[in-house]
Amino acid sequence: MAIRVLADDLIDQIAAGEVIERPASAVKEIVENALDAGARRIEIDLERGGVALLRVRDDGIGLSASDLPLAVTRHATSKIASLDDLEAVGTLGFRGEALPSIGSVAKLRIVSRDAQGGQGHEIRVDGGKVEAVRPAAHPPGTTVEVRDLFHNVPARRKFVRSDATETGHILRWVERLALSRPDVAFRLRSGARTLLDVPALADDEDAARRVDAVLGPEFLERALRLHHAAGPVALHGWVGAPTAARAQADAQYWFVNGRHVRDRLLMSAVRLGYRDVLYHGRHPAYLLHLTLDPRLVDVNAHPQKLEVRFRDSRQIHDFVFRAIERTLASARPGPDSAAHGATAGPTGTATARALPDAAVLRAPAAPMQSAALPFPPADRRMTVAVPATATAWAVAEAVTAHDAAAPLGHAIAQLHGVYILAQNAAGLVLVDMHAAHERVLYEEYKRQMQGEVASQALLEPVCVSLKAHEVDAVLAAADEWSALGFGIERLSPDSLAVRRVPAILGARTDLAELLRAVARDAIDETGARHFEEPGHRLLGTLACRSAIHAHRRLTLPEMNALLRQMEATERADQCNHGRPTWTRLTLAELDQLFLRGR
Amino acid sequence: MKISATRAEVLNPLQSVIGVVERRQTMPILANVLLAARNNRLSITGTDLEVELVASSEANVQQAGDVTVPGRKLLDIFRALPEDAKVTLTTEGDRVVVRAGRSRFTLSSLPAAEYPVVEEIHAQQTLSVPQPEFRRLIEKTHFSMAQQDVRYYLNGLLIEAEGPSLRAVATDGHRLAICECTLEQPAKNPQQVIVPRKGVLELQRLLGTDGAIEVAIGTNHIRAQIGDVRFTSKLIDGRFPEYSRVIPSSPSRLIEGDREALRHALQRTAILSNEKYRGVRLSVKPDLLTVQAHNPEQEEAEDQVEVNYQGDEVEIGFNVTYLLDALAAVDGEKVQIGLGDANSSCLIRADAGARARYVVMPMRL
Repeated sequence: MAIRVLADDLIDQIAAGEVIERPASAVKEIVENALDAGARRIEIDLERGGVALLRVRDDGIGLSASDLPLAVTRHATSKIASLDDLEAVGTLGFRGEALPSIGSVAKLRIVSRDAQGGQGHEIRVDGGKVEAVRPAAHPPGTTVEVRDLFHNVPARRKFVRSDATETGHILRWVERLALSRPDVAFRLRSGARTLLDVPALADDEDAARRVDAVLGPEFLERALRLHHAAGPVALHGWVGAPTAARAQADAQYWFVNGRHVRDRLLMSAVRLGYRDVLYHGRHPAYLLHLTLDPRLVDVNAHPQKLEVRFRDSRQIHDFVFRAIERTLASARPGPDSAAHGATAGPTGTATARALPDAAVLRAPAAPMQSAALPFPPADRRMTVAVPATATAWAVAEAVTAHDAAAPLGHAIAQLHGVYILAQNAAGLVLVDMHAAHERVLYEEYKRQMQGEVASQALLEPVCVSLKAHEVDAVLAAADEWSALGFGIERLSPDSLAVRRVPAILGARTDLAELLRAVARDAIDETGARHFEEPGHRLLGTLACRSAIHAHRRLTLPEMNALLRQMEATERADQCNHGRPTWTRLTLAELDQLFLRGR
Repeated sequence: MKISATRAEVLNPLQSVIGVVERRQTMPILANVLLAARNNRLSITGTDLEVELVASSEANVQQAGDVTVPGRKLLDIFRALPEDAKVTLTTEGDRVVVRAGRSRFTLSSLPAAEYPVVEEIHAQQTLSVPQPEFRRLIEKTHFSMAQQDVRYYLNGLLIEAEGPSLRAVATDGHRLAICECTLEQPAKNPQQVIVPRKGVLELQRLLGTDGAIEVAIGTNHIRAQIGDVRFTSKLIDGRFPEYSRVIPSSPSRLIEGDREALRHALQRTAILSNEKYRGVRLSVKPDLLTVQAHNPEQEEAEDQVEVNYQGDEVEIGFNVTYLLDALAAVDGEKVQIGLGDANSSCLIRADAGARARYVVMPMRL
């Protein structure tokens, strides 16, 4: 078969296959053009999920009559002119591919009036055929109209989903664009329905308002603000509290120099930052802007520019990871800790566990017994360990005096041997004592490990059988294990001999199980930085085993001591497994339960 | 069943066996004790399926029979009775009635046939061991047994008969204790068994200060008659570590010192050691041993003891609890501590011929 040069419209269609995947991609490309043109207001109208009609109108600098034919010509752009420009590209687009691609798979009409020209012009493209430029009425700016998308590409058309799905995709893209540029007003309408309408924020207004408008108030309520800068690189935005983590990874927004990306490196850095505060299988919510010198990042790495390449990826990774880790670590119980908007309704679990009528349940045949006892029999599970009244009063008074110093308040009782009840100025604080103690111990162990590491030699080495690749994984990190106080050698291809162990482990630990768990984790973790993991994993297991268990009676001073420890501990809001350690019921919330003050 | 007895005739055997009756148990019948009355003797059995104790006393048996009753309740009742009380125990249907003077107690009962008892242990050999010697073996070693270790064979005491010597060995993987005694009649064949921790502690409680006892060792059980109490324990089925390999035969550095002086120095220093792993540093130079400890709060302790040592300077870390346990168990006023380098084990003994020896692994601090 002879080789031949492809026809221009076919080339455009092939390019369109990469760039224009679905209506949402077309919206993204056109809106990005509008943003590059300096628009302050962008209006998007859809019909039938953008397939029938997709119109984007902006008030940017517009195109002159002579520019219009070029705009729909492949590899024609005003955004870069040389390789140097490409290396430092500051605009969202630069390839000159979008409009010709769209033109090749749809009926495209561009109407524009540039600020100087004084007169508007339009150009039409249908299935790659460009018509002549004609005068047309238009205010300053540009309108791009795409009709019958994919009408000439049946294969692609098949992959277009329902109108609602495609509208959803478009909405998400517009949301991302709106989040990246709070200074531009966005409006998205589908038919007669307004899906998004956000005004432009003035320069001095807080970007949080845009986030609030686009993502709703819940996101910010349960997020921590972050701002870190190091030389030419800055990271700002919000990271969701670990307790606000979601079942889906659907509230994750990464912007690099204002461009929304889904970059593996950045996502892995975030995941690492959330390490050991996130409940298993949960995904954090976050919105982060990374700004850096455009020369330090190559955005020309993915057809839709969803991935980027950093010149120094390792440094960026560590910078992001550290920033997030530090922000999360700083979260500890405080009066304005936003992490805990507890909304236990009257049908919460509390009522489910309310005292059953014990006297009735266990009343034996002897009638004299149950009748004579108006109070339920003393059952350990059912009692609230309330101290003598005098002490309770003393505590109540102490609370008002010392509240500023003790955000978690002062313990008043232990509930069912599981929870600590404490009172502070805001209301009632509930603490899961095991989870809280676990975190306190874990952080304490981690601190101890940073100092000198005591390592106990064993009389007889402990042999651990593992799979061969697990043995390799453990030995690959031999230095790290030994830094933790382990002495590990290979015994055979699939077994290890442990000759020394960290002294804090104690004699009772099941070394084989611990090693297996850690080795398995080391393999799962594909990200770069797992070398602190074996230790942390080990310490986590250790903390979980050493922490006070439910049903242990605590005295008030013990409970208060735990509360004070929590206040002084990093990441005290979650246990090592990411479960929350405490929550609160404010007086207002309690009043609501009893319909007080209405 | 019907018996009459004095309070003491029931209370004494009951107190002997109650230790093995667990407060919380998986099988309801294990909360009960088995009362067996025949031939004018009452025998009471308590068990936790691992250790079984049978104690007996004289009683006036009017009608022979077996019955089980809740052990702790029976004990509490007998404790609460007046000291000179005369008691009768009668089976009435599926209940047991205890009468004493004007008191009457009706206790529930579970079928005696379902009570788990160890009948025959199929002894392979029987050793005659002087009680004080056997007791000494346990006292000198039991503290080194592991507790709830996943290596289940460490949660007990190795009893080894080999020719004329009987040996007890305990280790938790970090330290080891070994003690030997001589048998009057050598063992017929060498045998190694592991007695579980609970059995060891019960045995220690039961053993007296004079007389010899017969210890029968089977493949799955060990049994001994001690006074009025018959002790039976299951054995741990597992291979005990090759302990002889880890006992240093000739330590390169031998320190000799006053046992009490060393012990006190270690106790003082231990106060400021790390609470979690209790590390102390021993450094020796000729005739002087220095003990140092510090904790995460940066508090420090240092103590010095004069010792008899000729050799080069060396510094080794240890868990002070292990050293103190060993020093408390060693006999005599003097103690020898044999050290190698910072990675090799430490031997503690009274003198070169001592029958109790202790090995402690070092800790890198």
